[in-house]
Amino acid sequence: MSKLKINGKEKDFSGKIPSYLSDLLEMLEVDSATVVAEVDGKIIERSNFKTAKIQEGQSIELIRFVGGG
Amino acid sequence: MNIADDKLIINGQEISSRLFVGTGKFASNELMKSAIEASGSQIVTVALRRVDIDNENDDMLGAIDSAKYLLLPNTSGARDSEEAIRLARLARAASGIKWLKLEVTPDPYYLLPDPIETLKAAEILVKEDFVVLPYINADPVLAKRLEEVGTATVMPLAAPIGTNRGLSTRDAIEIIIDQANVPVVVDAGIGLPSHAADAMEMGADAVLVNTAIATAADPVKMAKAFKLSTEAGRIAYKTGAAAESKIAVASSPLTGFLRDE
Repeated sequence: MSKLKINGKEKDFSGKIPSYLSDLLEMLEVDSATVVAEVDGKIIERSNFKTAKIQEGQSIELIRFVGGG
Repeated sequence: MNIADDKLIINGQEISSRLFVGTGKFASNELMKSAIEASGSQIVTVALRRVDIDNENDDMLGAIDSAKYLLLPNTSGARDSEEAIRLARLARAASGIKWLKLEVTPDPYYLLPDPIETLKAAEILVKEDFVVLPYINADPVLAKRLEEVGTATVMPLAAPIGTNRGLSTRDAIEIIIDQANVPVVVDAGIGLPSHAADAMEMGADAVLVNTAIATAADPVKMAKAFKLSTEAGRIAYKTGAAAESKIAVASSPLTGFLRDE
Protein backbone atom coordinates (compact mmCIF):
# COMPACT_ATOMS: atom_id res chain seq x y z
CA MET A 1 0.00 0.00 0.00
CA SER A 2 1.49 3.31 -1.03
CA LYS A 3 -1.40 5.53 -1.81
CA LEU A 4 -2.08 9.24 -1.74
CA LYS A 5 -5.35 10.97 -2.33
CA ILE A 6 -4.72 13.65 -4.92
CA ASN A 7 -7.48 16.08 -5.81
CA GLY A 8 -10.07 13.70 -4.43
CA LYS A 9 -8.79 10.62 -6.27
CA GLU A 10 -6.74 7.77 -4.81
CA LYS A 11 -3.46 7.31 -6.59
CA ASP A 12 -1.22 4.29 -6.10
CA PHE A 13 2.51 4.93 -6.27
CA SER A 14 3.36 1.20 -6.12
CA GLY A 15 5.84 1.47 -3.27
CA LYS A 16 7.42 4.73 -4.32
CA ILE A 17 5.70 7.65 -2.69
CA PRO A 18 7.71 10.80 -3.45
CA SER A 19 9.53 12.20 -0.43
CA TYR A 20 8.63 15.85 -0.81
CA LEU A 21 5.84 17.84 -2.36
CA SER A 22 8.24 19.20 -4.99
CA ASP A 23 9.07 15.59 -5.99
CA LEU A 24 5.41 14.78 -6.29
CA LEU A 25 4.79 17.75 -8.57
CA GLU A 26 7.73 16.77 -10.71
CA MET A 27 6.48 13.21 -10.96
CA LEU A 28 3.02 14.44 -11.98
CA GLU A 29 4.58 16.91 -14.43
CA VAL A 30 2.81 19.84 -12.79
CA ASP A 31 4.56 23.20 -13.01
CA SER A 32 5.04 24.19 -9.38
CA ALA A 33 5.27 27.88 -10.27
CA THR A 34 1.57 28.02 -11.03
CA VAL A 35 0.25 25.82 -8.23
CA VAL A 36 -0.80 26.11 -4.62
CA ALA A 37 -1.08 23.00 -2.47
CA GLU A 38 -3.03 21.84 0.52
CA VAL A 39 -1.90 18.77 2.46
CA ASP A 40 -4.51 17.33 4.81
CA GLY A 41 -6.28 20.66 4.79
CA LYS A 42 -3.18 22.71 5.54
CA ILE A 43 -1.96 25.19 2.94
CA ILE A 44 1.65 24.74 1.86
CA GLU A 45 3.27 27.90 0.52
CA ARG A 46 5.14 27.47 -2.75
CA SER A 47 8.42 28.36 -1.03
CA ASN A 48 7.98 25.30 1.19
CA PHE A 49 7.28 22.74 -1.54
CA LYS A 50 10.85 21.45 -1.34
CA THR A 51 10.73 20.85 2.42
CA ALA A 52 7.13 19.61 2.75
CA LYS A 53 7.37 15.87 3.42
CA ILE A 54 4.77 13.56 1.94
CA GLN A 55 3.44 10.56 3.82
CA GLU A 56 1.30 7.67 2.78
CA GLY A 57 -2.42 8.20 3.08
CA GLN A 58 -2.30 11.98 2.95
CA SER A 59 -4.91 13.95 1.09
CA ILE A 60 -3.32 16.46 -1.25
CA GLU A 61 -5.02 19.21 -3.19
CA LEU A 62 -3.23 20.86 -6.08
CA ILE A 63 -4.91 24.05 -7.16
CA ARG A 64 -4.27 26.71 -9.76
CA PHE A 65 -5.85 29.81 -11.24
CA VAL A 66 -8.18 29.47 -14.18
CA GLY A 67 -10.37 31.89 -16.09
CA GLY A 68 -13.39 33.06 -14.12
CA GLY A 69 -15.79 35.93 -13.63
CA MET B 1 -16.10 69.02 -13.46
CA ASN B 2 -12.80 67.72 -14.70
CA ILE B 3 -13.35 64.10 -15.70
CA ALA B 4 -9.66 63.37 -15.17
CA ASP B 5 -10.17 64.10 -11.46
CA ASP B 6 -12.99 61.59 -11.21
CA LYS B 7 -11.12 58.70 -9.62
CA LEU B 8 -12.37 55.36 -8.43
CA ILE B 9 -10.76 54.56 -5.09
CA ILE B 10 -11.11 51.10 -3.55
CA ASN B 11 -9.47 50.37 -0.21
CA GLY B 12 -7.39 53.51 -0.62
CA GLN B 13 -6.10 52.44 -4.02
CA GLU B 14 -6.83 54.37 -7.18
CA ILE B 15 -8.29 52.15 -9.89
CA SER B 16 -7.77 53.39 -13.43
CA SER B 17 -10.88 51.89 -15.04
CA ARG B 18 -14.47 51.58 -13.94
CA LEU B 19 -14.87 48.48 -16.07
CA PHE B 20 -13.76 45.25 -14.40
CA VAL B 21 -13.51 42.17 -16.59
CA GLY B 22 -13.74 38.46 -15.96
CA THR B 23 -11.50 35.91 -17.66
CA GLY B 24 -13.88 32.96 -17.97
CA LYS B 25 -15.28 31.47 -21.16
CA PHE B 26 -12.75 32.91 -23.63
CA ALA B 27 -12.01 30.64 -26.58
CA SER B 28 -8.26 31.08 -26.08
CA ASN B 29 -5.75 32.80 -23.81
CA GLU B 30 -4.68 34.94 -26.75
CA LEU B 31 -8.21 36.20 -27.28
CA MET B 32 -8.60 36.82 -23.56
CA LYS B 33 -5.38 38.82 -23.49
CA SER B 34 -6.42 41.00 -26.42
CA ALA B 35 -9.91 41.55 -25.01
CA ILE B 36 -8.55 42.60 -21.59
CA GLU B 37 -6.23 45.00 -23.35
CA ALA B 38 -9.08 46.48 -25.40
CA SER B 39 -11.30 46.82 -22.33
CA GLY B 40 -8.83 49.20 -20.70
CA SER B 41 -9.60 47.43 -17.42
CA GLN B 42 -7.22 47.29 -14.51
CA ILE B 43 -9.14 44.82 -12.35
CA VAL B 44 -9.32 41.33 -13.80
CA THR B 45 -11.06 38.42 -12.05
CA VAL B 46 -9.79 34.84 -11.93
CA ALA B 47 -11.01 31.60 -10.33
CA LEU B 48 -9.31 28.72 -8.51
CA ARG B 49 -9.76 25.11 -9.53
CA ARG B 50 -8.08 21.77 -9.05
CA VAL B 51 -5.17 20.95 -11.32
CA ASP B 52 -6.07 18.22 -13.78
CA ILE B 53 -3.27 15.79 -12.99
CA ASP B 54 -4.06 13.51 -15.92
CA ASN B 55 -3.93 16.17 -18.60
CA GLU B 56 -1.78 19.09 -19.53
CA ASN B 57 -2.83 22.27 -17.79
CA ASP B 58 -3.16 25.54 -19.50
CA ASP B 59 -1.44 28.37 -17.63
CA MET B 60 -3.84 31.24 -18.17
CA LEU B 61 -2.07 33.50 -15.67
CA GLY B 62 0.92 33.63 -18.00
CA ALA B 63 -1.27 35.56 -20.44
CA ILE B 64 -2.05 38.30 -17.89
CA ASP B 65 0.66 40.86 -17.16
CA SER B 66 0.59 41.09 -13.37
CA ALA B 67 2.47 44.39 -13.40
CA LYS B 68 -0.27 45.98 -15.46
CA TYR B 69 -3.41 44.39 -14.06
CA LEU B 70 -4.75 43.88 -10.58
CA LEU B 71 -5.83 40.27 -10.27
CA LEU B 72 -9.01 39.74 -8.32
CA PRO B 73 -9.36 36.06 -7.34
CA ASN B 74 -12.92 34.91 -6.77
CA THR B 75 -14.35 32.19 -4.56
CA SER B 76 -16.61 30.79 -7.26
CA GLY B 77 -17.76 27.26 -6.56
CA ALA B 78 -18.06 27.91 -2.83
CA ARG B 79 -21.40 26.75 -1.47
CA ASP B 80 -21.01 28.07 2.06
CA SER B 81 -18.82 30.39 4.10
CA GLU B 82 -16.35 27.65 5.04
CA GLU B 83 -15.66 26.77 1.42
CA ALA B 84 -15.34 30.44 0.51
CA ILE B 85 -12.84 31.08 3.31
CA ARG B 86 -10.81 28.05 2.27
CA LEU B 87 -10.68 29.29 -1.33
CA ALA B 88 -9.80 32.79 -0.17
CA ARG B 89 -6.83 31.55 1.84
CA LEU B 90 -5.67 29.38 -1.06
CA ALA B 91 -5.94 32.31 -3.46
CA ARG B 92 -3.81 34.44 -1.17
CA ALA B 93 -1.25 31.67 -0.73
CA ALA B 94 -1.12 31.13 -4.48
CA SER B 95 -0.77 34.76 -5.48
CA GLY B 96 0.04 36.90 -2.48
CA ILE B 97 -3.01 38.96 -3.40
CA LYS B 98 -5.33 39.89 -0.57
CA TRP B 99 -8.07 41.35 -2.74
CA LEU B 100 -10.94 38.95 -3.10
CA LYS B 101 -14.22 38.71 -4.93
CA LEU B 102 -16.29 36.86 -2.36
CA GLU B 103 -19.03 34.76 -3.91
CA VAL B 104 -21.05 32.04 -2.24
CA THR B 105 -23.53 30.44 -4.60
CA PRO B 106 -25.11 27.26 -3.26
CA ASP B 107 -27.87 27.20 -5.87
CA PRO B 108 -26.53 25.79 -9.17
CA TYR B 109 -29.53 26.81 -11.28
CA TYR B 110 -29.64 30.57 -10.83
CA LEU B 111 -26.25 30.88 -9.08
CA LEU B 112 -27.76 33.37 -6.70
CA PRO B 113 -25.51 34.39 -3.82
CA ASP B 114 -26.34 33.22 -0.30
CA PRO B 115 -26.65 36.40 1.78
CA ILE B 116 -26.16 34.79 5.19
CA GLU B 117 -23.09 32.77 4.24
CA THR B 118 -21.64 35.74 2.34
CA LEU B 119 -21.97 38.03 5.36
CA LYS B 120 -20.52 35.37 7.64
CA ALA B 121 -17.51 34.81 5.37
CA ALA B 122 -17.01 38.55 4.83
CA GLU B 123 -16.80 39.21 8.55
CA ILE B 124 -14.10 36.58 9.03
CA LEU B 125 -12.12 37.49 5.90
CA VAL B 126 -12.05 41.19 6.75
CA LYS B 127 -10.56 40.26 10.12
CA GLU B 128 -7.94 38.20 8.28
CA ASP B 129 -7.00 41.37 6.42
CA PHE B 130 -8.55 40.47 3.07
CA VAL B 131 -9.88 43.28 0.89
CA VAL B 132 -13.33 41.87 0.36
CA LEU B 133 -15.49 42.70 -2.67
CA PRO B 134 -18.67 40.69 -2.10
CA TYR B 135 -20.97 39.54 -4.89
CA ILE B 136 -24.54 39.91 -3.61
CA ASN B 137 -28.11 40.00 -4.68
CA ALA B 138 -29.38 43.56 -5.00
CA ASP B 139 -30.39 43.77 -1.35
CA PRO B 140 -29.88 47.23 0.17
CA VAL B 141 -30.02 45.95 3.77
CA LEU B 142 -27.41 43.29 3.10
CA ALA B 143 -25.24 45.87 1.31
CA LYS B 144 -25.31 48.02 4.46
CA ARG B 145 -24.51 45.07 6.70
CA LEU B 146 -21.51 44.15 4.55
CA GLU B 147 -20.27 47.71 4.54
CA GLU B 148 -20.54 47.71 8.34
CA VAL B 149 -18.33 44.63 8.67
CA GLY B 150 -15.72 46.33 6.52
CA THR B 151 -16.03 45.16 2.93
CA ALA B 152 -14.22 47.34 0.39
CA THR B 153 -17.16 47.47 -2.02
CA VAL B 154 -20.53 45.90 -2.56
CA MET B 155 -21.23 44.15 -5.86
CA PRO B 156 -24.94 43.69 -6.47
CA LEU B 157 -26.06 41.63 -9.45
CA ALA B 158 -27.96 43.15 -12.36
CA ALA B 159 -29.34 39.72 -13.31
CA PRO B 160 -28.15 36.14 -12.68
CA ILE B 161 -24.59 35.33 -13.81
CA GLY B 162 -24.18 34.85 -17.54
CA THR B 163 -27.77 35.73 -18.43
CA ASN B 164 -26.97 38.99 -20.28
CA ARG B 165 -30.36 40.36 -19.24
CA GLY B 166 -29.31 43.77 -17.99
CA LEU B 167 -30.52 45.74 -14.98
CA SER B 168 -33.41 43.58 -13.82
CA THR B 169 -32.72 44.75 -10.26
CA ARG B 170 -32.72 48.45 -11.11
CA ASP B 171 -34.85 49.79 -8.24
CA ALA B 172 -32.91 47.96 -5.55
CA ILE B 173 -29.57 48.97 -7.06
CA GLU B 174 -30.70 52.60 -6.97
CA ILE B 175 -31.30 52.29 -3.24
CA ILE B 176 -27.93 50.58 -2.72
CA ILE B 177 -26.16 53.38 -4.59
CA ASP B 178 -28.09 55.98 -2.62
CA GLN B 179 -27.08 54.48 0.73
CA ALA B 180 -23.57 53.17 0.10
CA ASN B 181 -20.41 54.65 1.56
CA VAL B 182 -18.25 52.16 -0.35
CA PRO B 183 -18.04 51.82 -4.13
CA VAL B 184 -20.93 49.96 -5.74
CA VAL B 185 -19.88 47.62 -8.54
CA VAL B 186 -22.73 46.20 -10.60
CA ASP B 187 -21.73 42.63 -11.28
CA ALA B 188 -23.37 39.83 -13.28
CA GLY B 189 -26.05 39.88 -15.93
CA ILE B 190 -24.77 42.90 -17.83
CA GLY B 191 -25.18 41.81 -21.44
CA LEU B 192 -24.75 44.92 -23.54
CA PRO B 193 -22.72 48.10 -23.48
CA SER B 194 -26.01 49.99 -23.03
CA HIS B 195 -26.61 48.04 -19.79
CA ALA B 196 -23.21 49.12 -18.52
CA ALA B 197 -23.90 52.73 -19.49
CA ASP B 198 -27.28 52.47 -17.79
CA ALA B 199 -25.72 51.30 -14.52
CA MET B 200 -23.09 54.02 -14.67
CA GLU B 201 -25.67 56.72 -15.44
CA MET B 202 -27.53 55.60 -12.30
CA GLY B 203 -24.40 56.30 -10.29
CA ALA B 204 -22.77 52.89 -9.99
CA ASP B 205 -19.05 53.28 -9.37
CA ALA B 206 -18.05 50.45 -11.67
CA VAL B 207 -19.34 47.41 -13.55
CA LEU B 208 -17.97 43.90 -13.87
CA VAL B 209 -18.46 42.11 -17.19
CA ASN B 210 -17.37 38.67 -18.33
CA THR B 211 -19.82 36.59 -20.39
CA ALA B 212 -20.99 39.48 -22.58
CA ILE B 213 -17.43 40.09 -23.71
CA ALA B 214 -16.01 36.56 -23.70
CA THR B 215 -18.86 35.00 -25.68
CA ALA B 216 -19.41 37.85 -28.14
CA ALA B 217 -18.69 37.11 -31.80
CA ASP B 218 -15.69 39.43 -31.51
CA PRO B 219 -14.66 39.72 -27.84
CA VAL B 220 -11.99 42.32 -28.55
CA LYS B 221 -14.40 44.72 -30.26
CA MET B 222 -17.04 44.08 -27.61
CA ALA B 223 -14.51 44.83 -24.87
CA LYS B 224 -13.82 48.16 -26.56
CA ALA B 225 -17.56 48.88 -26.77
CA PHE B 226 -17.93 48.20 -23.04
CA LYS B 227 -14.97 50.45 -22.28
CA LEU B 228 -16.57 53.33 -24.17
CA SER B 229 -20.06 52.81 -22.76
CA THR B 230 -18.80 52.58 -19.19
CA GLU B 231 -16.90 55.83 -19.61
CA ALA B 232 -19.84 57.48 -21.35
CA GLY B 233 -22.23 56.46 -18.59
CA ARG B 234 -19.90 57.79 -15.92
CA ILE B 235 -19.41 61.14 -17.63
CA ALA B 236 -23.17 61.46 -18.09
CA TYR B 237 -23.76 60.71 -14.40
CA LYS B 238 -21.19 63.23 -13.23
CA THR B 239 -22.56 65.84 -15.64
CA GLY B 240 -26.18 65.38 -14.61
CA ALA B 241 -29.08 64.57 -16.89
CA ALA B 242 -31.09 67.31 -18.57
CA ALA B 243 -34.68 67.74 -17.31
CA GLU B 244 -37.47 65.44 -18.47
CA SER B 245 -40.79 66.79 -19.72
CA LYS B 246 -44.15 65.19 -20.52
CA ILE B 247 -44.81 67.45 -23.48
CA ALA B 248 -42.55 68.28 -26.38
CA VAL B 249 -40.04 71.08 -25.91
CA ALA B 250 -38.95 72.22 -29.35
CA SER B 251 -35.28 72.16 -30.09
CA SER B 252 -35.57 74.50 -33.08
CA PRO B 253 -36.69 78.15 -32.69
CA LEU B 254 -40.47 78.70 -32.54
CA THR B 255 -40.20 81.98 -34.42
CA GLY B 256 -39.43 82.99 -38.00
CA PHE B 257 -41.57 80.31 -39.62
CA LEU B 258 -42.17 80.67 -43.37
CA ARG B 259 -45.88 81.37 -43.03
CA ASP B 260 -48.19 84.35 -42.43
CA GLU B 261 -49.55 84.85 -38.91
